[in-house]
Amino acid sequence: MVSDAPRSPSRRSLLKRGLFGGALLVVGGTGFLALRGGRRASLPFDGLHVFSEEEYAVLEALAPRLVGNRPGWPSVQQVGVAQAVDRIVERTEPSVQAELKQLLGLFDNALAGFLFGGRTVPFTALDAAAQDRVLEDWRDSRLAIRRTGYNALRTLVLAGYYQSPLTWGPLGYPGPESSFYQPGAKAWTGGPMPRPDGNGVFHPVARP
Amino acid sequence: MSGYIFTGKDVPRDTEVGADVCIVGSGAGGAVLAEQLVSRGLRVVVLEEGGYHTRGEFNMREDWAYPALYQEMANRSTDDQSVLMLQGRSVGGGTTVNWCTSFRTPKPVLERWAQDFGVEGLSEAALSPHFDAIEERLHIKEWPLEAMNRNNRVLWDGCGKLGFGRGLVRRNVNNCADLGKCGLGCPIDAKQSMAVTLIPDAVERGLNVYANASVRRILVDGRKVRGVEAAILDATRDVPTGATLTVRAKAVAVCGGAINSPALLLRSGLTGQGNVGQRLFLHPVAIMAAHLEEPVEAWSGAPQSAYSRHFIDRGPERMGYFLEAAPLYPMLAATVLPGFGAAHQTTMEKLPHTQVCIGLAVDGFLPGDVGGTVRLANPKERRVHIDYPLRPWLWEALRDASEKMARIQFAGGASEVLSLHATPVRLRPKDDVERLLRAAPWEAGRVRVATAHQMGGCCMGRDPKTSVVDSSLRYHGLDNLFVVDGSVLPTSLGVNPQETIFGIARLRSAAVAASVA
Repeated sequence: MVSDAPRSPSRRSLLKRGLFGGALLVVGGTGFLALRGGRRASLPFDGLHVFSEEEYAVLEALAPRLVGNRPGWPSVQQVGVAQAVDRIVERTEPSVQAELKQLLGLFDNALAGFLFGGRTVPFTALDAAAQDRVLEDWRDSRLAIRRTGYNALRTLVLAGYYQSPLTWGPLGYPGPESSFYQPGAKAWTGGPMPRPDGNGVFHPVARP
Repeated sequence: MSGYIFTGKDVPRDTEVGADVCIVGSGAGGAVLAEQLVSRGLRVVVLEEGGYHTRGEFNMREDWAYPALYQEMANRSTDDQSVLMLQGRSVGGGTTVNWCTSFRTPKPVLERWAQDFGVEGLSEAALSPHFDAIEERLHIKEWPLEAMNRNNRVLWDGCGKLGFGRGLVRRNVNNCADLGKCGLGCPIDAKQSMAVTLIPDAVERGLNVYANASVRRILVDGRKVRGVEAAILDATRDVPTGATLTVRAKAVAVCGGAINSPALLLRSGLTGQGNVGQRLFLHPVAIMAAHLEEPVEAWSGAPQSAYSRHFIDRGPERMGYFLEAAPLYPMLAATVLPGFGAAHQTTMEKLPHTQVCIGLAVDGFLPGDVGGTVRLANPKERRVHIDYPLRPWLWEALRDASEKMARIQFAGGASEVLSLHATPVRLRPKDDVERLLRAAPWEAGRVRVATAHQMGGCCMGRDPKTSVVDSSLRYHGLDNLFVVDGSVLPTSLGVNPQETIFGIARLRSAAVAASVA
C-alpha cells in the first residue's frame, strides 16, 4: 500500500496533470468502484453549508485520524470539527470549494483508491489502522498532487479542531489575557467624533 | 475638516466619489502615501478590501483574527500548498497583524537595485530622513534585552554561545504590555500600526477611507487612468452586496501588496509587457521546533526581539538567510507542526515547552533567481493563482538554516529539536545534525515552508522590458498610475519589509503629488 500503483507512464502523466484538474474527475467518475458507497455520518442540526452528506462523512472519518484521540482531550465530535471545516470552507472562493469537494470525494472514492494504492474499499468503510495507512500513502506519495491533497486536508481539519477553546486546557494554553481587552470599545471613525486617546497612545491599566 | 472611515454598511447603493488621488490598499504603502498626500493639501480616498477592525474587537483569539485580519483566512498559499502565506487584510494591512519588527533597508540591497535594475534616487542618504520621521512617529525603538521572552532568548543565547552574530530587534510599539498577541491584533493599541497612527492622522486632515471596498478594475483610458471601480463587500459576511463604489481621480496608486497589486493590474488588462506578476519573492521560511525542559510559552511577550544576520552573505553561489523567532498560538502551531494523529497530539501537548526558530531565505539575488509568479486563471473571480518553484539553491539554504537553527537551539538549552518534515526529523543534542538533515527529503509538500513577507510582482526599474514601474513608482507607459507597496521591490530584502515600504512610500509620495499638480 505504500507504493503509488499507477506505473504506466500514460496513466501517471494523466494523474500528474493536476489534482484539481479534469484528469481526476475522470478517475473519480464512473464505474462500480467509484459508486461503491461509504459510511454515512450524522449531520449537524443546522445543516451543511458547503459539503454534501457524502463529503461530510469523509470529513467525519478523517477528523479523529488526523487529530488523534488522546484521553482528556475533547473529542472531534465535542469540538464539531467537521462542521467547523464546513463553515471555514464556506468563506472561500467557489472554485476553492469545488476543489475541496472533489478532493474529499476522491479521498473516499474506491476507484481512485484502487488506482493509487490497490484499495477497493471506500476510506470511510476502513478500520482506523487502515485509514492511517491511507493517510500515510497520501503524505508520502511520489505524486506531488497527493501530498498537496494530504496537506490541504490536514490543515483544514487541524484548524477546525484547534480553533476551539476546548483545546486550550489540555494544551496548557492559558488563552488571552482578558483584562487588557475592552469588548466593544468604540471604533474611531473620524468625522465629528473626537479622536480618543486610544488611537496610538492608549495607556493600558497597568503592566502585568 | 476631518474625513471619515466608512465601511460596507455606509455604501448601501452605487456611489461615485471624486478625489485628487485614489489609493487602493491601506497597509504599509497606502497609509504612508495617504498621510503624505493629505499633508500636501490633496483630496485623497483610500479603498481597502478588508474590514475596519479596532481594539474593541481584538479579543486575541485565532478563530476571530484569522478570518477577519488575514488574506484567505490565513490559509493563503501557493497553488500546490507548498508555501503557506501569512498576509494581512484589513485597514492597516499587514501592519495590523505583523510582529512589529522594524529594520531599515540594508545598504547593499539598495546598491544592487541601482546596479542591476537601474533604480535611481533610492539611496541610503535619500531614504534616511524618511526613516527618521517614521521611526519617530511610530516609536520605533530597540526592545530591551531584559524584556526578551524565553522564546527569543533561546535564539539569543544560542547565537552567543556559538559565536554567531546577533542583534536586538527594533519594534514599533508604544506602552507595550508584552501580551505577545501582535499577530492577532493589539487590544491596547500599543502596536503602532497604520490603523492607529498614520491613517487616523490623515483622516483628521481630510482623508476618506472606504473599508470593505474590493477594487475590481482600474479605469484605463489611453495613457491615463481615470479612477477605479470597487465592489462593496458585506462587512460581516465578506461577500459582495451588489453595490459598487466608483472613484474618479486624477491619479491612482495601487497599494495592495505583493499578491493583490499585480492581480489588480492584470485584472485591469495591465500586463507591463509580461512583467506584472513576475519576480515574486517571499523570504521562504524553514522552521525548527525545539523542546525545552522549562516552560517557553512562546505565545507571550514580544514575538520577535532577537535576530541573527550572521548567514546573510554565504558567498556568490549560495543563498543567504537570516534567523528570527516566531510566536506560537494553538491554531498556528497545530497547522505548522508536523505529523497527524497521536504523533501530532504528542507534539501539541508540549506546546508550553516549545520554542520556534525561523530561517528566512533571501531570495532574488542569485543569478537566475526569478522567484515566483502571480496570475489570474479566471479574471472574473477574485482567486489569485500563486506559484513559487522551490529551486535547489533555496532547498540548500533552508537545509543549512535548519541545521544552524538546531545547533543554536541545543546551545540555547533545547533537549530535542524537530524539523517540520511531514515525518519530522527528530534531533537530540549529541546527534550528527548535519547528516540527519541531509538525509531528509527537501521537496515541495514534504516539509513545511512558509512566508510572512511578500515582495515583488510589480518590479521597479529603468527598463520597461524588465520592470513594471519606474524609480518614481509610476507604471511604465501611463502618466498617472503608481504602485506604492512591497510589490515594487526588485528583490527580497534580508530584513522584515515593513519599514522599507514605509520609507519608499514616504519618499515617493512627492512623485505621486507632482503628477496631480
